[in-house]
Amino acid sequence: MNANAQNTQAQKDTTKMLEEIKVIAIAKKKIQTEMKMAVTVDEFLASSDNISFIKRGAYAWEPLLNNMSSERSTITIDGMHVFGACTDKMDPITSYVESNNLSAVDIKSGQEGSLHGATVAGSIDLKRKSTPFSPEKKYNGAYQTGFEFNNKQFFNLGNLSYASDKFVADGSISFRKAGNYYDGNNNEVNHSQYNKFNTSVGLAYKTSPFSAVRVDAIFDKAKNVGFPALPMDMWLSRAIITSASYKQLFQHGLIRVWDTKVYYNAVEHYMDDTHRPENLVHMDMPGWSTTYGLVSRANLKRGDYSAEIQLNAYHNLSIAEMRMYPQDRSKRTMFAYSWPWVTTRFTSLAMNNSWDISENSRVNFGGSLGYNYNRSKYVEFNWIFHPGTQQEKSRILPGLHANYQLTVNQFNFSAGGGYGHRAPSVSEGYGYYIYNSFDRYDYIGNPDLKNEISYEANASAGFKNEKIGIEAKVNYFYIQNYIIGRILSLGSPMNYQSVGVKGYTSLDHARLFNMALNANYNILQHLHWKGTLTYARATDDKGGNLPFIRPLSYQTSLHFMYKKIGFQTSLNGDLTQINYSPEYGEDQTPAYMIWNISADYSFHIKNCKTVLQVGAENLLNEYYSTYADWGNIPRIGRNIFTSLKFSF
Amino acid sequence: MSCTKEKTDYEAEINTVVTEHYEFKEAAAINSNGYHISIEALNGTFYKGYNEIRLKISGDHTNEDVSAVTFLPIMTGADDSRISCPHRYDMVYNADAGYFPGYAVFTSESSANETWELYISFTINNQIHSVKQTITVQEQPNKNLNMTAFTGKDGEQYIIALVSPQKPKVAENELIAGIYKFNQPASPPSGSFPDPSQFSYTAVSNYTLQLDPRMPEPSMGNHSSTNNKDLTQQSDGLYYGVVNYTMTGNWTLNFIMLNQNGKILKGTEVPTDFTPGVEGVKSELYIDILF
Repeated sequence: MNANAQNTQAQKDTTKMLEEIKVIAIAKKKIQTEMKMAVTVDEFLASSDNISFIKRGAYAWEPLLNNMSSERSTITIDGMHVFGACTDKMDPITSYVESNNLSAVDIKSGQEGSLHGATVAGSIDLKRKSTPFSPEKKYNGAYQTGFEFNNKQFFNLGNLSYASDKFVADGSISFRKAGNYYDGNNNEVNHSQYNKFNTSVGLAYKTSPFSAVRVDAIFDKAKNVGFPALPMDMWLSRAIITSASYKQLFQHGLIRVWDTKVYYNAVEHYMDDTHRPENLVHMDMPGWSTTYGLVSRANLKRGDYSAEIQLNAYHNLSIAEMRMYPQDRSKRTMFAYSWPWVTTRFTSLAMNNSWDISENSRVNFGGSLGYNYNRSKYVEFNWIFHPGTQQEKSRILPGLHANYQLTVNQFNFSAGGGYGHRAPSVSEGYGYYIYNSFDRYDYIGNPDLKNEISYEANASAGFKNEKIGIEAKVNYFYIQNYIIGRILSLGSPMNYQSVGVKGYTSLDHARLFNMALNANYNILQHLHWKGTLTYARATDDKGGNLPFIRPLSYQTSLHFMYKKIGFQTSLNGDLTQINYSPEYGEDQTPAYMIWNISADYSFHIKNCKTVLQVGAENLLNEYYSTYADWGNIPRIGRNIFTSLKFSF
Repeated sequence: MSCTKEKTDYEAEINTVVTEHYEFKEAAAINSNGYHISIEALNGTFYKGYNEIRLKISGDHTNEDVSAVTFLPIMTGADDSRISCPHRYDMVYNADAGYFPGYAVFTSESSANETWELYISFTINNQIHSVKQTITVQEQPNKNLNMTAFTGKDGEQYIIALVSPQKPKVAENELIAGIYKFNQPASPPSGSFPDPSQFSYTAVSNYTLQLDPRMPEPSMGNHSSTNNKDLTQQSDGLYYGVVNYTMTGNWTLNFIMLNQNGKILKGTEVPTDFTPGVEGVKSELYIDILF
């Protein structure tokens, strides 16, 4: 995190600069957990203390930031907005990348995350790998393979990069194939298989000593993905995510870096219910989401002050269809749009500032102003429940935040607040009979929902020396016009498994509180302990519980190294879910505890670094499901995993 | 990247099921004593069900000279029985439009055994002209213009015919229907054939047609919609209500017909619960549509 990369005149080598300029220090996580080096993107995110997941199976988990569903956070890939094409959220953005084409994930809580667009919960930015220019020609690569015994997951991940003074190329390819997994009672969980193929390529060319162009593309294809908690599976999803960017560095003046990118991505998602004999009705539910946009950012620095300014603009078209087939296939099919060609245009200008008031204190502050426009092409579908509603809707989305950080000796403190609006998502605004298998209701959007308005406060306190670190973080959100589905007394369900119709409505307000306690202790030079405790509580305007709030949960791990051998063990679990919400379809989830263990051995074959890892997750084969498991689908039982990684 | 499955062309999808006709064309013509009588209908075709009719008489006269225009469709069955259908008997010239507006609700299609004839008479310069013409009534391919004939609990013969929309949308649609009653003749036929008193129908007054639209397919589990409005009579004699279709496909319009005193003449309540896998129960008075 070198903010002073430009001791410049002498240093003409932009190679280094391109890599080192990070004007505002951001804590980034490497794509690897301590337990497991060959993680999926989902497994990796799960190791973060403010992210939890709604799981509909073994694949494509929906990330919840600060215990809020994905509509409330902005999830981007290098600042690019990508929107899933599935109305059932079977394809969160995180399912379209792979761990070997990412370098880090940048998670920001609350309004601090408004740089990429209007948000309530915060932002998750998936950072792609990009190799820096190098004065001498360099090849780097890695190949990783592995097998996981529980679900017979076999994976191969490879990536290769070439760097020279003028030109850089990055490429990656990955295959994953998994069968059904077995739960803690050794029962097979049907329809939990998946197949995923992902490849990416990035090319950069230095146009001058201080400027470079880069083009990137990711292609991702998942096939035959089972969703045990849903009445249907996924036949195919494909995404192509492309961008071209231009980066200019400046040696003098306030502006240090200016980086502009145009992007285009297209996602298609096709469900498949033909493998479910219990379905009396066959139904096609294809979805398409196409987005193009611009993101332009400048990093500023003068003396003790630094800032980022970002302009975001995108245009998205979301389409989802339902076609129901009568028993007599020769008869007419029945057709409706679940997303009736909904266009979203969004523009925002956002700024984050950081000012070092003194050697041990700093103020961060910023804001964003966004403009959100929606249009529903086949507005007649929205008129069914909201007669006469406008076909087009514009919203202004402001956001503000400030935070003060103070360091006193080995102690550090911070306190801050935020205020921000978000617009309803496409489903919340324009969804039409979207079946939600968690509470088994069909959901109807409301184009006239008010903006959700968040007031947020956060604080942290920590202590750190060479042996011990401890940190407590809390945040509190008071959210006006909190959007949630409420049972409609009128209307009858359309989907076969449904029990009723819910309309998205605004609660007067909701309150969310999140707390995390982290500690680490270096017991010996090569023996480290780490622990995390999280707690959250959320209520609606009548004091009732909100759904999908994580109960008190803990994680504790020991890491021991001896010469070339590493050994890790961890325990994690949730306590009994006390504050569950029957009103929103939840039942009480019992407590569970999982024990994991792994060992690795590092050695060299010529110049090739090799790591061999063997481990077991859920060693005691506990039968459990978590508070956020759709339909109480049991989680994976004992899973022995092996992996081998070569890198040069 | 081209898509693996093509997106549905929604407008085209509805167009393939339902053809909407806008144009009135000559469906029948009679030349008599130097007068040309033209009967126009939508698409130049008489269909089973409701037909709006425009009658024009051209010749060496002005339309103001024409009076006492009557229009009577009669169907002759295999056994020589003769019946009519709901129609406008006395036609009044509409000077703005330039024709005599009327309607006929043909209750069956023309076939070898069933022949439809139009009996038209008019007076010009105090001279009465009576003509007749055999016509062809075709099957109505658009189920949104379906009709039903039944006997009410009062023993009367009724006909309900859908008039609009020809081409529904997934939306709130204004639903227009005609409700007609056969007027039982009080006395035996008299005078020369045809005696209009034997073939008299009237649009009933101040009835109510209660509406409960549902999708009958077992897979749709008796799906219904909200914001529907029962049909009540407006000044043009037709009955107007609102039907809300939530998706394309087969729908059943379940009716309960009440007379002006609120007494049920036909129709039964249908179950309202969601019953996946079971074909929807229909009212004893219903019309199926499709779009």
